[in-house]
Amino acid sequence: MFSSFKGIMGEQVFKLAILSVLALLTLFLCGILLSLVAYTDVNTFFSTLLSDEILFAVKLSMITATTATIISMVIAIPVAYAISQTSFLGKNIIDTILDLPIVVSPIALGAALLVFFNTPLGSLVEKRFIGFVFEVPGIILAQFMVVNALAVRLLKSTFDSINPRYEQVGRTLGCSKLRVFFRVTLPLARNGLIAAGILTWARAIGEFGATVTLTGATKMKTETLPVAIFMNLATANVEKAVAVIFILIAIAVIALIILRKMTGTRERI
Amino acid sequence: MISVKNLTVRFGDFSLKDVNLNINDREYFVILGPTGAGKTILLECIAGLHRIRRGGIWIDGDDVTYLPPEKRRVGYVPQDYALFPFLDVRENIIFGLKKKDGERYEAERKVDELAHLLGISNLLNRSVRTLSGGEKQRVALGRALATSPRMLLLDEPMGSLDVRTAKYLRLELKRIHGELGITTVHVTHNLLEAEEMAGRIAILNTGRLEQVGTPEEIFFYPQSQIVSDFLGTPNILNCDECRVLGHGLVEAICGDMTIVLPRRSHDIKKIALFPQDIYVSRTKPPGPDLNRFKGIVTDIVPFSSLMRLHIKVGENNLLTELPKDIFEDMDITVGQEVFLILKLRSLKVH
Repeated sequence: MFSSFKGIMGEQVFKLAILSVLALLTLFLCGILLSLVAYTDVNTFFSTLLSDEILFAVKLSMITATTATIISMVIAIPVAYAISQTSFLGKNIIDTILDLPIVVSPIALGAALLVFFNTPLGSLVEKRFIGFVFEVPGIILAQFMVVNALAVRLLKSTFDSINPRYEQVGRTLGCSKLRVFFRVTLPLARNGLIAAGILTWARAIGEFGATVTLTGATKMKTETLPVAIFMNLATANVEKAVAVIFILIAIAVIALIILRKMTGTRERI
Repeated sequence: MISVKNLTVRFGDFSLKDVNLNINDREYFVILGPTGAGKTILLECIAGLHRIRRGGIWIDGDDVTYLPPEKRRVGYVPQDYALFPFLDVRENIIFGLKKKDGERYEAERKVDELAHLLGISNLLNRSVRTLSGGEKQRVALGRALATSPRMLLLDEPMGSLDVRTAKYLRLELKRIHGELGITTVHVTHNLLEAEEMAGRIAILNTGRLEQVGTPEEIFFYPQSQIVSDFLGTPNILNCDECRVLGHGLVEAICGDMTIVLPRRSHDIKKIALFPQDIYVSRTKPPGPDLNRFKGIVTDIVPFSSLMRLHIKVGENNLLTELPKDIFEDMDITVGQEVFLILKLRSLKVH
C-alpha cells in the first residue's frame, strides 16, 4: 500500500489526502453553524438574549466559571509544580489519580459528589459549613472537579518546559527556593499560566454533566448557560436554546482569540 | 580559598569520586576534561546546586557543604548563560541586587559601573532575546558579578561562541580577572582555552581528578596515560643542551636528535611534539637534513580511524599517526626504516 506513496507524486497525494480530511471537518463544523444561523430569527434572538432568564444564566455562568477557575489555578499551580519538579515515592500513582477527572464522565463525577454529600462527612459539611447540593456553590464545586485536572495537566507541561538552569542561577543570585519560584519560575511560565487560565475558564463555562447532576436544573437558581440550553430544548423552546448556543460559541471564540493574542502561539491541549 | 575534600556525589548513573582540590584566592583555575567527565557537576557542587553524598567544600575556611546556593555568595555563569528572558539587560544585571527601594539607586550605580567594565553600557535597555552570543556572555558575567561574589564560576563560557568571538572574550575575561582579582573557576573541554587562561589546571576524567598543576606541569609532566591521551599524547623529549644559533634560532639537543627551532627562551628543558605533527616518509625526503630524522618502526597500533606508529630514533621513542588509507598505501611494516619530518609550528617547549 505504501509503495504507491513514493516520490514527489506520493508527497502530493499525501498532502491532498490530509487537506481533504481537513476540508471535510471544516465543512462539517461550518455546516452545523450555518444550520443554527438558518434556524434563528433575528428578533427572537435579541429578545431571548435580553430576557431575564438568559441574562441570569450568563451572569451565573460568568461568576461560577471565574470562581472555579481562580480556585483551580491557585491549587493547580503548586500541584503541577510538585509533579513536574520533584520526585517522590508513588508519584506516578498520584499523577494518574489526578488525571482521572479528565477521562471520567462529568456525570459520573457529579454523581460521585452527590454520593459524597450523602455520607456523614458530606452531610456535616453541608449542614455546618456550606450547602452544595442543589445550590450555587455546588456549581462551582462541580466545575472545579471537572476543570482542575485540565489546569494541572496544562501547567505541568508548562513547568516541564522551563529549563531548571534559570532557577539555579536565581538561587546563586541570592534567592531562596520560594523567592525563585515567584521571581523566576512564575514569570517564565507566564504564557502557560494565561493559556491554562483561559482554557480552564472556557471549559468551566461549558460544563454541564457534573453541574446538572449535583445541583439539578432549577430555573433562575442553578441555571447556567449549558443548563439553559438543556431546559429550553426539554421544553421544545428551540429558538431560545439556539440563542444560548450562540452565546457559548461567542464566548469560546473570544477566549480562543485572547489566547492566541496573549500567548502568540496555538496552545496544545 | 576554596577547598574540596573527598567530594563524592551521585548524579543518575554518574558519580564524582573522592575529589580533592584547593583553589587559591584570586587564582584563575580551570577544570579541564572530556565531555562527561563531571566538570559541570563539580562546578555545580561548589555553587551548592547538588546534594553532596560524602566529603565537603570549604570557602574561606567556612564549611559550606550543606549551605544553600543563595548563602554561598558565588557568581555562576552557566553554559547557556540562562539570562532571564522576561527582563531586559539592566534588570537581569540588577536581579541579585534589588532589595528595598532605598537601595535601588546604589544598585543602579553598580550596574552602570559593571556595564562600563564589561563594555555593555549600550546594551542596558535591550531585550536579552536580541543579544548575540558574546553580548549574552558579558551580560551573564555582569549579573554574576553584581552581587560582589567571593568567587566566579564559569561553565564552558566560550562553548557556544564562534572562534573569533571566543578569542576576543578570552582576552576580556583575562582583563576582567586582572582588574577585579576575583577567584575564578572556569570549566572547559578545550585544551587551548585552558592553557591560555589558567593559572592552574585540574584534569578530570570520568568523575576522577587525574592531575592538578600549572599548564606546563600538566603538559610536560602528565602523571597518567589518561592525562597524556587527553592532551593528544604528545611526545615529550628531554633536552640535554640548548645552543643559540643566531637569527632568532636555537638548537636543542635531545638525546640523538638535534632540533632547530625559533628562539623562545634561553633554556629549553623539554620539547613536546604531537603525533600528528610528525610526517612519515619511506624514502629520504629531498632538501637539507634540518629537523629530519631516520628511525625504525617498532610497533603499529590501530587507533580509531588512524594507525599509530611507534618509531625509535636513537634513544628516543616517538609516536606518530597516519590516516589508515595513507598507511596502507605506504605499506609500512614493523622493523622498517622510515624518515621523519618535524612540523615545528605547533611545537611546545618548556
